[in-house]
Amino acid sequence: MLLEVRDLHVEFRTRDGIAKAVNGVSYAVDAGETLAVLGESGSGKSVTAQAVMGILDMPPGRITGGEILFKGRDLLKLKEDQRRSVRGAEMAMIFQDALSSLNPVLSVGDQLGEMFVVHRGMSRKDARAKAVELMDRVRIPAARERVRQYPHQFSGGMRQRIMIAMALALEPALIIADEPTTALDVTVQAQVMDLLAELQREYRMGLILITHDLGVVADVADRIAVMYAGRIVESAPVHDIYKAPAHPYTRGLLDSIPRLDQKGQELYAIKGLPPNLLHIPPGCPFHPRCPMAQDVCRTDVPPLYEVSATRGSACHFWRECLHA
Amino acid sequence: MPEPILQVDGLVKHYPLTQGVLLKKQIGAVKAVDGVDFTLGRGETLGIVGESGCGKSTVAKMLVHLERPTAGSIRYKGEDVTELSGRALKAVRRNIQMVFQDPYTSLNPRMTVGDIIGEPYEIHPEVAPKGDRRRRVQELLDVVGLNPEYINRYPHQFSGGQRQRIGIARGLALRPEVIVADEPVSALDVSVQAQVINLLAGLQQEFDLSYVFIAHDLSIVRHISDRVGVMYLGRIVEIGTDEQIYDHPTHPYTQALLSAVPVPDPEAREHRERIILTGDVPSPTNIPSGCRFRTRCFKAQPRCAEEVPLLAVPEAFRGAPGPAAHPSACHFAEEKQVVPPETDPRGDRFLPPADGPGRPA
Repeated sequence: MLLEVRDLHVEFRTRDGIAKAVNGVSYAVDAGETLAVLGESGSGKSVTAQAVMGILDMPPGRITGGEILFKGRDLLKLKEDQRRSVRGAEMAMIFQDALSSLNPVLSVGDQLGEMFVVHRGMSRKDARAKAVELMDRVRIPAARERVRQYPHQFSGGMRQRIMIAMALALEPALIIADEPTTALDVTVQAQVMDLLAELQREYRMGLILITHDLGVVADVADRIAVMYAGRIVESAPVHDIYKAPAHPYTRGLLDSIPRLDQKGQELYAIKGLPPNLLHIPPGCPFHPRCPMAQDVCRTDVPPLYEVSATRGSACHFWRECLHA
Repeated sequence: MPEPILQVDGLVKHYPLTQGVLLKKQIGAVKAVDGVDFTLGRGETLGIVGESGCGKSTVAKMLVHLERPTAGSIRYKGEDVTELSGRALKAVRRNIQMVFQDPYTSLNPRMTVGDIIGEPYEIHPEVAPKGDRRRRVQELLDVVGLNPEYINRYPHQFSGGQRQRIGIARGLALRPEVIVADEPVSALDVSVQAQVINLLAGLQQEFDLSYVFIAHDLSIVRHISDRVGVMYLGRIVEIGTDEQIYDHPTHPYTQALLSAVPVPDPEAREHRERIILTGDVPSPTNIPSGCRFRTRCFKAQPRCAEEVPLLAVPEAFRGAPGPAAHPSACHFAEEKQVVPPETDPRGDRFLPPADGPGRPA
């Protein structure tokens, strides 16, 4: 297994108390595999990824438990300088907002080349040549001329390609893409997702795709982990989950997608609001919004039950949900 | 077609680009909206879709008179709003209200919810006399599904979905006939979007509202709209009923747009034909000659560079009445089904219980 996160716990100290952002998350990605982490804002999907990358703001954040095994080594036990040699070279991250993730006062060529200067000790000239090569790889037209330009001179889709190029630069084994196409228009989103999927196949990278878009997930993922209130509530191969979700939250999300035969009718809506991380409800964190909730849900936190060899659901009533 | 309440003809908004400090010289224009026509019927929902920069938000701003059109007319019940001023304009503006995209920035953080929703009454005191306002605001809170006791709270005490409900309540305060909603759910979480869409649909029934619903999420637009217009670079390229646009699109841009939307069904992955457009939308300062879509079009011919295609029922379909016979601004319009006939991977088995608590009664 390329990456294995085991029982990760992350908290944030805030003025109003301790926010439990991640509460025992475990997931794994293998080389060449795409894991989609699906969740709404505040579900802990990005915080988990930041902990894996080692870019969590600490403080106020604090990892209070768990292991992050990358190629068998626990990253949480490494010293910061060892961690730095992993970050960028062996795992890389693509962020949602390319404009604010790129440095506005450095040309894109300098930013791409920096990877080679810092990690590979290349000369500036060789690094520049590498940058042009990378821009070609992600199909930016006229790369040789545009390598001198600054981020603001590129369109949103092109900037996201530069982010992808930067992540790919050192041919990492793992890429974490945090909402890589959310800020893009649909026609451009399709171009960028296609490119990402193609490069992933070519380099046999593991890909963690963080998103809230059920459509994007269905298009590219092999497996899905659905997160809610800092926990994984369902984990399954992509085909299984869309056919028959085993957790009421997943089912609610799928049912709230407008469907043709429901036109003119009311959409299914999950009632209520996502929980406040300062006061996560006792028992199953989804119970106040769950149509299937029973007394046991209010008191006992459901473990991730084994639905099949490849599936898990953190619902006391996963059987009923699966066959509802 | 129901009786028209809004008629938009040849609507244009150009923002001048100037050079020089003292002697300002116009060197060009950002052609944000460049000739838009549509009609909104009473009680109808017109959806407008398009990518960022296509001018859909500028159209919205002109409809509520936040921007003055460079040319063209907006007729409300037959009267050209763009020519009005003073008292007559004020009376019309009362009837066309807006709901904004971002519930985080469109509510003043220093005002209480009661003041925010009641502020329209300061401008139009004839709608609610002073002593009556508090009660009116509480009624509105109740109508949008918020607790009327929240009247003294501030926006930061609410979640995104609740704030959007506050924005909707403000839009309803003056009992308008038309609501222009610019991306009203795109800033909200998936599980909350459906709640707000249901609220908007319910209010339309209750208050006999007409909606102009602007969004980039095609499936939500289809769900709520009676008719849909597709915009590209300042113009509507295709318009028709939701069935005509989604199931029988004839404009290549609409086809590409529909085919690019990810379908939430992993089975569709393999046997789905996708039209991937190359390149980006051209700059609105430098619009291509002829058909403005031709630089990205997979069908472009020399004729497209010379002749501007008009938004009309294409000749090929004029004789034959059918769902493909609707206005489409393309010289080579032809029908192409891009969205596979709906297949629900879950079948009927997994429909939610009709009386489940998740469903508002």
